[in-house]
Amino acid sequence: MAPFQMNDPLFRLNKVFRNVFDDDEIVVTRATTARDIDGWDSLMHVTLLVNIEKEFAVRFSSAELAGFNTVGELEDLIRRHLNQE
Amino acid sequence: MLQAELFATIASLRKEGRTADGLALLRDALRRDRLDPEGIDKAGRIVRRELLPDDSSHAPLNVLILGQCTTSWIVTSLTAAAWARGIALRVVDGGYDRVLQELTNHRWPGAQSGIVVLLPWNKRLLEGGGDKEQGLQDELRFWQQAWLLATERLHGRMIQVGYDWIIPGPLGQHLAAGSEGPVSLIREMNARLRGHLPQGAYFLDLEQLSGISGRRSFYDMRRYFWTKQPFSENGTSQIADHICAGIRALTTGPKKVLVLDLDNTLWGGVVGEVGPLGIALGDSPEGEAFVAFQTYVKQLAKRGVLLAVASKNNPEDAREPFRLNSDMVLTLDDMAAFEACWEPKHATIARIAASLNLGLDSFVFFDDNPAEREQVRQAIPEVEVVEVPQDPAEYVRALQSGNWFETVGLSGEDGMRGRQYAAERHRREAEATFGSLDDYFRSLEMVAELGSITDADLPRVVQLLGKTNQFNLTTRRHSHNDVIRLRNIPDAIDITLRLRDRFGEHGLVSVLLAVPEICDGRKRVVRIDSWLMSCRVISRGVEQFLFGHFLDRCRQLGYDTILGEYIPTRKNGLVAGLFDELGFEKLPDQGDEVIRFALDVATAVEPKTFVVRAGALI
Repeated sequence: MAPFQMNDPLFRLNKVFRNVFDDDEIVVTRATTARDIDGWDSLMHVTLLVNIEKEFAVRFSSAELAGFNTVGELEDLIRRHLNQE
Repeated sequence: MLQAELFATIASLRKEGRTADGLALLRDALRRDRLDPEGIDKAGRIVRRELLPDDSSHAPLNVLILGQCTTSWIVTSLTAAAWARGIALRVVDGGYDRVLQELTNHRWPGAQSGIVVLLPWNKRLLEGGGDKEQGLQDELRFWQQAWLLATERLHGRMIQVGYDWIIPGPLGQHLAAGSEGPVSLIREMNARLRGHLPQGAYFLDLEQLSGISGRRSFYDMRRYFWTKQPFSENGTSQIADHICAGIRALTTGPKKVLVLDLDNTLWGGVVGEVGPLGIALGDSPEGEAFVAFQTYVKQLAKRGVLLAVASKNNPEDAREPFRLNSDMVLTLDDMAAFEACWEPKHATIARIAASLNLGLDSFVFFDDNPAEREQVRQAIPEVEVVEVPQDPAEYVRALQSGNWFETVGLSGEDGMRGRQYAAERHRREAEATFGSLDDYFRSLEMVAELGSITDADLPRVVQLLGKTNQFNLTTRRHSHNDVIRLRNIPDAIDITLRLRDRFGEHGLVSVLLAVPEICDGRKRVVRIDSWLMSCRVISRGVEQFLFGHFLDRCRQLGYDTILGEYIPTRKNGLVAGLFDELGFEKLPDQGDEVIRFALDVATAVEPKTFVVRAGALI
């Protein structure tokens, strides 16, 4: 796997995950799901998305908030927003 | 230090076994208002993790938050806000719209009582559609019942949050606050809450709070549709902060003393250099700002806050503006203590505290000079130090926003006495309306229509199976064809439930699908494959009613045993205990994700319910 770039969305996402779950050993991949991360429950899911919106300065729609299953899908969503905004 | 760096530092200190040092940094950042709402939320999680489990030094105060909306995200922010002010809280919340149920069931950990925060949401009031006066009375009665339970059953002190509107509504801006408008309805509701609230309780005026902050940033409708919590991160942290002020008002009481600097705090410029008439006071934008600040401080003094001056000045210079400058609003008589000298300010403040015979923890310090503030923070951390903005035009807001002098309006002893009288008066009032929670359920006038799954019901049933997460025992997402196949199995039991109550029709809200289980033994076993209910009607006895009917059907079909299945997910913790409550026995684990329960039909008891059955069927 190629090394992360600082402005790579997945790298920035990883930063948010580490911050939100307060665990600097988290390494997310595109295949990561809620099952893989300790403490990623429905409560923290909201907190996570709020922090992601802040990190990327994007605003997800209601449909998007609940519309992904993997970190990869989340990354795609962010990329779409970054291209639009 | 940037927020991200702060948290990184705290994490690495923790790894080195220096958690306490990390927490000290965190508390300092919180007290200086350095964290954004997301940061405050995270701080709350850290505090809950690090402090609460082994907090044996002093028992934390219990706080129970109960809302007509979801309140889960207030818990962490409130924990952080209070901890920063030296109040250890153990906060729990009751989940979406479970106010009376939680008040009936809740037990405080240990024997101590605590604080109950009651948070309404406007949906029922604004969308009820019925008679306006009736709606107001219904809501008031609901909260009166909650007050009764909170005080009589839990012996708790109360913070009642008010109602709020988000938009002026369909009548438009002009009519919104007119006699029939939603804004006027909210205000009338709040006036009644305030008017009936037991003495000694704290009223948090949400309409006021969201107005100060701005509703567009205070609310996030996406979040409401998603989680049933209408507040944005910003709104959440504002509410938490204000609840914390309420808790202080109910426990330690308001701060008693405001210690003020003089130069560039009460007036512009240095009096020792420019003289008592050369200072900026009135006559210029800056001067007007200082006059406004003095006026505000004077009003604080009138309502009982003690004022004190701690200034590094020659004693004579410091007093001259009070005597000679006619634009001064404050007078020397307004000051309970006046110290002008060249000593460090913490020593001066300590001397003022001794002379007034008051503890340093009842002091608030306001000084434009960051170096002085820093020194006081370090030397006497008990004193609350206001983060004073650069521009004097912002002074009043900065002082007000700390909510240092919040009070329920009575001194501690008066408040206690008043509260007892009020609780008694209130109990009698509420008993007259509702004797018990049972009466409340009865008053909902719930009527259920039972049926089996007809072809016309199929789309709605499949939709419920597909999207219900909370009250869903197995979360099996059956398709249209699956449902037809299951219901057509001989001796399968399929039940639908439609509910209406005095507030209106809820439609088809619950589905139960049970099928015969193949067993070796002679016993006839029926297995509940799916059971779900819309979260709108949870915890009102509807599930008990439906189960009672299911029991009847099991008896008619000659079943001996009911097998219940619960498959835990991230969202259905609500029903983890349902089978247990209904009298089922838990069965041994079979090494899969399913938790199984069994109930003997012969000995099963029909659960109590206040739902009435409409029309006969099946």
